[in-house]
Amino acid sequence: MKTSRLPLIAMLAACAPLLAACGGGGEQKALRPPCPAGRLCLEYGNSGEPTTLDPQKANASWEFGIVSDFMVGLTDNDAAAKTIPGMATHWEQSPDGLVWTFHLRDGQWSDGTPVTAADFVFGLQRLFDPKTASGQAAQFYAIKNSRAVNGGKLPLSALGVTAPDAHTVRIELEHPWPILADNAAAPPMSPSPRHVVAKWGDAWSQPAHFVGNGPYLPKSWTLGDKVVVEKNPRYFDAAKVCLDRISFYPTTDAVSAERRVKRGELDLNTVVQSNRVNFLRRPDQMPGYVRVYPYVGAVFLTFNLKSVPALRDVRVRQALSMAIDRDFIVNKLFRGGQKPAYSFLPPGMLDYDGRARTYWATWPLERRQAEARRLLAAAGYGPKHPLKLEIRHRNTADPTLYTPAVQADWRSIGVKAQLLSTEVQIAYQSYEAGDFEVADAGWGGGSDAMGFLFLQRSDTGSQNYGGYKNLRYDALLDAADHERDLKRRMAYLGQAEQIVLDDAPIAPVYTIASKNLVNPNVTGWVDNNFDTHKLRFLCFRDAAQRRAGRG
Amino acid sequence: MVSFLLRRLLVAVPTLFLVVTVAFFMMRAAPGSPFLGERKLAPEIEKAVMAKYGLDKPLPVQYATYLGGVLKGDLGPSLKYRDKSVADIIGDGFPKSLILGFTAIVIATLVGVGLGIAAALRQNRPADYGATAVAILGVCIPTFVTAPLLVLLFASKLGWAPTAGWGGPRNLILPVVVLALPQIAIISRLTRAGMIEVLRSNYVRTARAKGLSERRIVLDHALRGAILPLVSYLGPAAAGLITGSLVVEQIFNLPGLGKYFVISALQRDYTVVMGVVILYAALILALNLLSDVLYAVLDPRVRLS
Amino acid sequence: MSAFGPELAPGSRTGAATMRSAAVKGRSLWDDARRRLFRNRAALVSVIVLGLLVVAAIVGPYLTPYPYDQVNKNDVWVGPLSGDHLIGTDSLGRDLLARLLIGLRVSLAVGVVATFVSLVIGVAWGAVAGYVGGRLDELMMRIVDILYSLPFIFFVILLMVTFGRNFILMFVAIGAVEWLTMARIVRGQTLSLKQKEFVEAARAAGVKPAGIVARHIVPNLLGPVVVYVTLTIPAVILAESFLSFLGLGVQEPLTSLGTLISKGAQDMELAPWLLIFPSIVMVVTLMCFNFIGDGLRDAIDPKDR
Repeated sequence: MKTSRLPLIAMLAACAPLLAACGGGGEQKALRPPCPAGRLCLEYGNSGEPTTLDPQKANASWEFGIVSDFMVGLTDNDAAAKTIPGMATHWEQSPDGLVWTFHLRDGQWSDGTPVTAADFVFGLQRLFDPKTASGQAAQFYAIKNSRAVNGGKLPLSALGVTAPDAHTVRIELEHPWPILADNAAAPPMSPSPRHVVAKWGDAWSQPAHFVGNGPYLPKSWTLGDKVVVEKNPRYFDAAKVCLDRISFYPTTDAVSAERRVKRGELDLNTVVQSNRVNFLRRPDQMPGYVRVYPYVGAVFLTFNLKSVPALRDVRVRQALSMAIDRDFIVNKLFRGGQKPAYSFLPPGMLDYDGRARTYWATWPLERRQAEARRLLAAAGYGPKHPLKLEIRHRNTADPTLYTPAVQADWRSIGVKAQLLSTEVQIAYQSYEAGDFEVADAGWGGGSDAMGFLFLQRSDTGSQNYGGYKNLRYDALLDAADHERDLKRRMAYLGQAEQIVLDDAPIAPVYTIASKNLVNPNVTGWVDNNFDTHKLRFLCFRDAAQRRAGRG
Repeated sequence: MVSFLLRRLLVAVPTLFLVVTVAFFMMRAAPGSPFLGERKLAPEIEKAVMAKYGLDKPLPVQYATYLGGVLKGDLGPSLKYRDKSVADIIGDGFPKSLILGFTAIVIATLVGVGLGIAAALRQNRPADYGATAVAILGVCIPTFVTAPLLVLLFASKLGWAPTAGWGGPRNLILPVVVLALPQIAIISRLTRAGMIEVLRSNYVRTARAKGLSERRIVLDHALRGAILPLVSYLGPAAAGLITGSLVVEQIFNLPGLGKYFVISALQRDYTVVMGVVILYAALILALNLLSDVLYAVLDPRVRLS
Repeated sequence: MSAFGPELAPGSRTGAATMRSAAVKGRSLWDDARRRLFRNRAALVSVIVLGLLVVAAIVGPYLTPYPYDQVNKNDVWVGPLSGDHLIGTDSLGRDLLARLLIGLRVSLAVGVVATFVSLVIGVAWGAVAGYVGGRLDELMMRIVDILYSLPFIFFVILLMVTFGRNFILMFVAIGAVEWLTMARIVRGQTLSLKQKEFVEAARAAGVKPAGIVARHIVPNLLGPVVVYVTLTIPAVILAESFLSFLGLGVQEPLTSLGTLISKGAQDMELAPWLLIFPSIVMVVTLMCFNFIGDGLRDAIDPKDR
């Protein structure tokens, strides 16, 4: 038959391009982008795509990871995220704790212009300028008049930040805020180069125009590909900066990024999927890379006190909370370094002892379940009249994983719960509108206990999702706000947290862990509660070798 | 021919306009807003932001403003990517998606047509069933399964290709294969069907009767007719491929345009959504026109009028 | 073969392309067609296998020792054939077999519901446009063109975020997007049927247009429509799996094949059974539909004698 060979030929022809594409696959070529000879380049897997490089506008952890080294604020962080002097060499507070004075060292912007106190004033004015629309501004409302300026009710010049001379920054506060120096290291409080912003407007933060005073500056940014930053020779401590170039890749697919780290295409990645932590720790995987550490973030369920009558009964709320098997969720389901939560605040908050606990925190699960059934029965719920609830949760990975476990736990105490997965954008809108019965929510990132506790204030508004109201709680927070002594402030905050845990408008579920994959050859990456890692401390164990030879 | 092209281009303008209109109002009808998140903006700030982007105005006014901008070639700023305009986003992403998608569709066509012919010539024999099964397998396994499997095998285990990232041509190998696989499947099936039909047609019978070699019959006569159904498929398929793919971009960490179809819709980044929809619709219209022209070139029975 | 690109890339047009040739001559052909279908071994096997799968999906969930949503805290991530879970458990210790069966049921239901909706809209739209013709036809087909130019995924996401509460409603919505190709096929068929003697006769006898469409046109469209249906169901099932990948799938603890696979793909090295078993069921199901569709097409196609 003449036809017999045709199919074979056709198939071969068809496969030719594929073979060609795979050809020459044998040899291992450099998997990393080329690095100039004698330089050190780090490839940084950065979990997300930044939306801005402007330190005052940045809002997400992966944005802070990049921009926090573009500017040096009044204070700075060391490799372990401890507060150290930055542009200010020293500072002092007035006796009433309402005025702070920072004394600046000499420093230069990357274009050679000196950095002055006026640049700090300008930076803070930009932060609170309604036009900047910074998502971070509210974190710094302790600064005098900042809330009114931010709301457009007062002019920028009314902000309580002034520059008596070129080397002095004076910050007035609404109330004593002992942790101001710690917060002054955060990117939103960075100085802004007035002359550059005046020239370019919003476009000043484009890599082509960017001027900073920090150890690194943006060189290029291709969406979806990478942000490249390079060492700033004019940074005042430039001699101690190790790496010459760092490229940040938005590794939205954590599993794929993990394989890239394993092959050496990336030196580190700032996210690991929870359920893979144990797998990666296996000896044949990459045990030396996995860095799991508690993070100041919490996940909790919020009960809607406003619109669900059953949830107005504290016995019901406590019963629901104590029935959750947190050990199972954390140790069997996630296995990713999270910790079971029996308090509202995660451990590791600055200047906070975190001793408040739910009263049943140490009970074994069986006892908690029995007590939960008893409480529910006392509240009038039982087999004949079961409590029915709907848990609204975000459709992201972790909430989708743990809420079915909560549902099962509640079933075991006779509560019938439905789950309702909600796309993230709509979830928060629904929460703020009070359109839920029980909501899965998360909060985190800040270092100050107040940043968590304010959520349950009765006058917080829509972010107090469930509409919890306890005037004694509000009063304690007010007292803390007007307390200059850190110990006494801590005591007020601790009492407030205990009230939340006793009233149970929320059920704490677990505290978050930061999960990074770091090549053991990378030095200077110190695990800390805030998952803050300044780039200027990073280096390679074999830096000298790399510089000398391999390029 | 010229008048045909002109007329089609004229029709394209109102079509594009209607696409913009439908997309605009659909997008706005969806619940949610671009400025929502764990940390709520202060109400005053939210108001200021809404005013900055003109989102506080009545919808018809916003629509008119947007349309005016588009006519001037201004797609507006991104609402989420605060440092980028929609033009930046498309300018960064589209060329890369184009390279990737174009390579994939070319390879898929070559391989797919080859397999299709092979199957057609062995219709209802094991080879045909085998090819069909493989083809269906190609379409039935979602890309989010094939992509990590290929990475595990060819990158992690065998080291033939980089795991992910944008860079040299080697970085394209795996993503192109992942993109091409389902297309190979569809194209081979279309070719097989077309081929079988043509092989039974009178003109092929005539050619056989004339004693032409089977190879000449297939390559000179049958193939031409057989790939006709393919032509009308390739237009939209190419538009889909060269505008990128979320799954492939995410797993291979590629800077394409595909994620914006999905992510910006999910984040309600209205202007970006509109920008990519306009680009996509324009591409569809252009490629459909192209495939009609190709159809006419390939099939003498069709006249463009 | 229906077309679904990497991510529902556009272009269910293939259907139109391949189906153009399929026409039905009359009722007498049906016996003939069935005989041909059953002579096609792949199609016959597919009918049997699919039948078994449907029975399993309907009855199976009542027969498994564990309910699909029962969390077994002590049996987390148990592999197949160990313990009393036949094919293992997931990270919550839920029995995979039970979840697979309920997932199959959901996926089939979703496919059937969406396809039915697209069928109703598509047939009505296409038949009216084709039968009435003229201006109305032009207008109706222009609307189809415009909807074609919008990325499918854009529609689906918007519908999903709008109707997210109810998954049946979601798939009604998907069906409402999937009807475009159906409308095109039906219109083409109607155009040719319109010229047929029996339609003329009915018209001469004074039957109203609505009556002619309902009683004479639509029944005669059955052939190509049935073929297209067998190809749309798998397309919808696959579309659902992509939505699961985006986190927009069915509500936990309910599940679908797509959801199981997208979760399984994340844990493929740790718990491969969570990917393998759902993938096998999905591929087998989709293959059956495809083989049946192919077989039907060959069986109904009068040219194939």
